[in-house]
Amino acid sequence: MMRKKLVSVLLTAAMCVSLTACGGGGGSSSSGDSGDSGSSGGGSSSDALQVVIWDNYQQPGIQEICDLFTEETGIKAKVEVKDWDSYWTLLEAGASGGDMPDVFWMHSNNSQIYMNNDMLLNLDEYIEKSDVINMDNYMPEVTELYTHNDSIYAIPKDYDTIALWYNKKMFDDEGLDYPDSTWTWDDFYDAAKKLTHDGKYGFAMNTTNEQDSYYNMIYSMGGTILTDDKKSGYDDPNTLKAMDFVGKVLKDCCPSATTMAETNTDALIQSGTVAMVTQGSWMVSGFKENNVMTENCDVAILPYDKETGVRASICNGLGWAAPANTDRADDSWALIEWFGSEEMQKKQAELGVTMSAFEGTSEAWVNYTDTFNLQPYLDITEESKDEGVTNELILRPYTYNSTRWTEQAKVDLVPAWNDPSKMEETCKQFAKTMNDLIASESN
Amino acid sequence: MNKKAKMTTWEKNQLFWGWLFIIPTMAGLIILNLYPIASTIYQSFCKTGDFGKGNVFVGFENYAQMFGDSVVWQSLWNTFKYAIIEVPFSICIALVLAVLLNRKMKGRSAYRAIFFLPMIAAPAAVAMVWRWLYNSQFGLLNNAFGLHVEWISNPKIAWICVGVIGVWSILGYNIVLFLSGLQEIPHDYYEAADIDGASGIQAFFNITVPLLSPTIFFVLITRVIGALQVFDLIYMVMETSNAALPKTQSIVYLFYQQSFDYGNKGYGSAIVMLLLAVILVITVFQMIGQKKWVHYE
Repeated sequence: MMRKKLVSVLLTAAMCVSLTACGGGGGSSSSGDSGDSGSSGGGSSSDALQVVIWDNYQQPGIQEICDLFTEETGIKAKVEVKDWDSYWTLLEAGASGGDMPDVFWMHSNNSQIYMNNDMLLNLDEYIEKSDVINMDNYMPEVTELYTHNDSIYAIPKDYDTIALWYNKKMFDDEGLDYPDSTWTWDDFYDAAKKLTHDGKYGFAMNTTNEQDSYYNMIYSMGGTILTDDKKSGYDDPNTLKAMDFVGKVLKDCCPSATTMAETNTDALIQSGTVAMVTQGSWMVSGFKENNVMTENCDVAILPYDKETGVRASICNGLGWAAPANTDRADDSWALIEWFGSEEMQKKQAELGVTMSAFEGTSEAWVNYTDTFNLQPYLDITEESKDEGVTNELILRPYTYNSTRWTEQAKVDLVPAWNDPSKMEETCKQFAKTMNDLIASESN
Repeated sequence: MNKKAKMTTWEKNQLFWGWLFIIPTMAGLIILNLYPIASTIYQSFCKTGDFGKGNVFVGFENYAQMFGDSVVWQSLWNTFKYAIIEVPFSICIALVLAVLLNRKMKGRSAYRAIFFLPMIAAPAAVAMVWRWLYNSQFGLLNNAFGLHVEWISNPKIAWICVGVIGVWSILGYNIVLFLSGLQEIPHDYYEAADIDGASGIQAFFNITVPLLSPTIFFVLITRVIGALQVFDLIYMVMETSNAALPKTQSIVYLFYQQSFDYGNKGYGSAIVMLLLAVILVITVFQMIGQKKWVHYE
């Protein structure tokens, strides 16, 4: 009798599990619907276009631009935010299963693989017919990221650069001058070291976000991540020199690798624990929400390297894309065209969402707030005013499947972050791994 | 002579209605379970292409790679370590608490509700809260007790700390199952034991545990399987840059990393097949072992 009971309990448990699984799925799909009817009041014949992005801080601005689109065309659009990791899991699952969002962001890490597999809508015809979109208006670097076999698969949305954020109060307390364009990386190290004492630190580095941290130092010191013939640059002598410098900074001026792994660098500067971080222009709207940041912090241009005289910032740009197999191609295009129009690109900058890819609109972004001096983000894109210094914008290095080796780097470099004396061997080891991974890319 | 006699109308009816009633379950089982299982087995023999297109059959290549991959074996060992923390502790503590909560006492329902609460909270939320409790710089644990322990970043103790979260979050579920089992035990046994002069502890080990053994067995089986499949806790608590991750990541974490972060679904499938085999073997041994200690009425 008891055995029967056990079986029935097992069956019930199995059913509960499958029920909750179904319930979960149903819940998530219906939440989108209820959101739509909430914003529109319901009663319309067509569903809202599903727009998916990964940056929470940009959501209000993007939604505002979408609302203007709805006013203009009557087509509704609802912005959903996923975090970076689940965004790509969702998009990949959608691409495999033939059910992608109507309009979404594309990133240089993944654009090659999506374009090569015909997952993105080819926009050539639409661009030709459009009197709003002219590809000459956008930063050519960003356009290039989303061009495959001379066809365009995404309209440039924005571009981003990196700058140095610092806590003025902590500099004042120490009697140090604020960072400026005359700073070399050595000046940076000296200041950071002086700022490090009694539980406060000069600098913090998010080692899993290479774009706004160590990549910039590598390129400034003449190193590279990816050579022209698509080989790893992690064993390049200049890269190793730069990584040695990174290790020195980590050892002398940063909280322990543990602290930085458990608490992200944004929280560390926002809590006044560290005096400096390097951060991308996409973070400005987020930092503007934080009191410590608005009261004490400001922005400076990245330091340059004394020997090479190069000041380098990694640059990247997102694109607006639509799925190749969609039955709402025209609606999706209408929205993409709207996002890409001069007016809305300017609007995006004015709202402080990000700098825009449309050339000549970035001034509006710099002027959108008085709280921070955003000029350094723009200055690095222009010629240097300092003698003997060249400003270089480096497009974020990418291969056919960049995600594979960038993700691997996050795992494989951990020993070096925890013990900088292992930096050289770790980097050389990873260079081999990275070369193998690039060689095994299916294209 | 025809061996099978023709079915009567009644039998036909039975057959029709029988199938009709199980079709919804069968459909769900085939679409949600059987097909994915078959597809996973097939993929584990493939070098999978982008977006599930262009899979190339490579035979046992993924398996050969897996058996030579020290990360896989380390992760399997990590998974066992997690199970060794989670299963025995969650069962023992839940058993004691269930017996205590089964007595007549003030506020019994309130206590039961409190112990069950972690089950209702979303696992991701549980993990986020614990992650902040454990934070070495700002965490409540270190600050409240003036410690400097790297709870989840020290490879030596991180696996225990993650196991503790697992125990905490599963306790309520085990307690509820034990409570229902306890209520099945007739009160007469305890009265008889009382008359014979047995103490509470003797009654617990000689009456409660043997009579509750079918429930304990059920909990044991499901918890071992659940613990070996642990993923969300580790995924939410441990950052990629966490130095303790290689000594803590579970086999399902590795599967997720390979399949979704690295887009290497074939290898991910092979890893998950290994887990399936491990769980099968362990469960078979448990089924055999139950004869020794599980008492059915």
